[in-house]
Amino acid sequence: MLEKTGVPTETQIDSAFPNETRLNEGPVAVIECFQPIPCNPCAMACPRQAILPFADINDVPVMDNDKCNGCGLCVMKCPGLAIIVVDINWSETKALIKLPYEFRPLPQKGQILHALDREGHPIANAEVINVIVPANKTPVISIAVDKDLIKKVRNICIPEDNDSIVCRCSDITVADIQSFIAQGYTSVDELKRITRLGMGACQGRTCIPLVMRELSTALKKPISELTSGTHRPIVKSMKLGDVAAYGGKS
Amino acid sequence: MINIDLLVVGAGPAGLSAAIKAGNAGASVLVLERSHQLGGQLVKQTHMFFGSEKQYATHRGFEISDILLAELDKMENVTIQPHATVLAAYDDGIWTAEIEGQYQKIKPSAVVVATGASEKSLLFPGNDLPGIYGAGAVQTLMNQYGVKPANRVVMLGAGNIGLIVSYQLMQAGVEVIAVVEGSPTIGGYLVHASKLRRMGVPIFTSHTIKNAKGANTNGLESVTLWKLDENWQGISGSEFTYHVDALCIAVGLSPLSELLWQIGCKMTFSAPMGGYIPYRDKYMRTSQKGIYIAGDVGGVEEASSAMVSGQLAGISAAEYLGFEMPNMAAMKQDCLNQLASLRQGPKGAHIRAGIRQAEVSFE
Repeated sequence: MLEKTGVPTETQIDSAFPNETRLNEGPVAVIECFQPIPCNPCAMACPRQAILPFADINDVPVMDNDKCNGCGLCVMKCPGLAIIVVDINWSETKALIKLPYEFRPLPQKGQILHALDREGHPIANAEVINVIVPANKTPVISIAVDKDLIKKVRNICIPEDNDSIVCRCSDITVADIQSFIAQGYTSVDELKRITRLGMGACQGRTCIPLVMRELSTALKKPISELTSGTHRPIVKSMKLGDVAAYGGKS
Repeated sequence: MINIDLLVVGAGPAGLSAAIKAGNAGASVLVLERSHQLGGQLVKQTHMFFGSEKQYATHRGFEISDILLAELDKMENVTIQPHATVLAAYDDGIWTAEIEGQYQKIKPSAVVVATGASEKSLLFPGNDLPGIYGAGAVQTLMNQYGVKPANRVVMLGAGNIGLIVSYQLMQAGVEVIAVVEGSPTIGGYLVHASKLRRMGVPIFTSHTIKNAKGANTNGLESVTLWKLDENWQGISGSEFTYHVDALCIAVGLSPLSELLWQIGCKMTFSAPMGGYIPYRDKYMRTSQKGIYIAGDVGGVEEASSAMVSGQLAGISAAEYLGFEMPNMAAMKQDCLNQLASLRQGPKGAHIRAGIRQAEVSFE
């Protein structure tokens, strides 16, 4: 329970979210403020009075979901970082979540982050869609996540640059691979063409299995459903001269 | 000898607010501050404040300090003196201070004591190892002096200070291994606790420290924690150990009331308010005529209440000194209303109990 763990229960989270009809109608603020404390900036911040005016400064905020347009002004002004905005129909497959974030460095638009749940566990990757940095208020980061995760994702974490080497021949790190996968290079052959991995001395023996594991994680597909790419001759590098000399004078 | 209408002891949120109100009323005011920096604890508060607009909600603490100091800067009748520790208060109305290394006597016609509070400590084996800090001290090192205090920290105490300083440690790039709280529930605001949890920091309620180990040359190396039973006794067999280079203690504050004792103010012990607090009337006067209190010295609360109680003490002291402002009664009532509103939620229950115990009438 929240008082012991600091993590709201599923029932509390459900109670903070609007119903499915309202969620489908467009972006909407979700306020996870369950304890009466003397604090009212959210209600003061809302230009549409979607957060109902407080009778007492210790009131917990109450939303009129129909008045909310998901602008996010309350997100940047809540001292408790208790508000997010959810837009479930942002794209065909992804929902957009606007989150308050008070750490440096700030993420960059287009960057791929870990999306964290309410206990700080990474549960998915998320692309940064927008970064708003209001003067003296809390920065708001918009991320795209799978629609089924809207009630799970509540924080982000910038992945540490993972500079473990995948391809020793061409000095390609796992961070490079993850970034290209996120940009849509989702097969071994595509990654090979953009990075030159597998074209060096090892001819893919070291790097291709590692790359397939990264692809499997990112695409959530078992390795058995992936292909290892086209295997072209020859299996080891040799001097062109030695090939050219075949059947010749020397 | 410095002759002055009003002496304000302490330039934190309470003292500065008192000086603004008394200065506005026309009193000559001298504010003495022990630290080289003005603003008290506000200067190291990097989080946005709660409360309402009147207490500068959504401003960060250090911004509020700047706002108050800018207002005082405009007043010619108010002098603020840093590097000035008030040493003693005597029966004949003389107060002494060390001001920039010089011993000084002051004869004020009224005094607002706004000395604040100090951090409580805790008893456990190894508690004097280098690397064991008060949470407030760590906040000073980080946010005031720009020093990273440690690399791996365990925080003792899940009140607002423990939760906020843990979060600020993480913002400074320090790993917070866990927050440990003896009570069965989290004492601070749950929104602060949730912020830490979604950064991956565990909070262990009903747990405390068993001992700290290390070498005096290296300082703290590890802390062993254990679970508490319902009688607050450690359960043997439940121990677990973390390797850390710092332990922060955030188990509450106690009011800095020495000057009030010296001057003979009647005091009462209030556990929920942090220790000995002075009897006061609702306008912040103590049992000694002309001696007022403001902020945490009257009982530990939030900075928002400290500012309002400071305003109230400043107005009351000015009124006592014979200065007049239009709407003085309405201004005092507004302060009382703000204090009542800040204290009236469930998180204010212990403060209301403390005030009920200490609030009297001196007619």
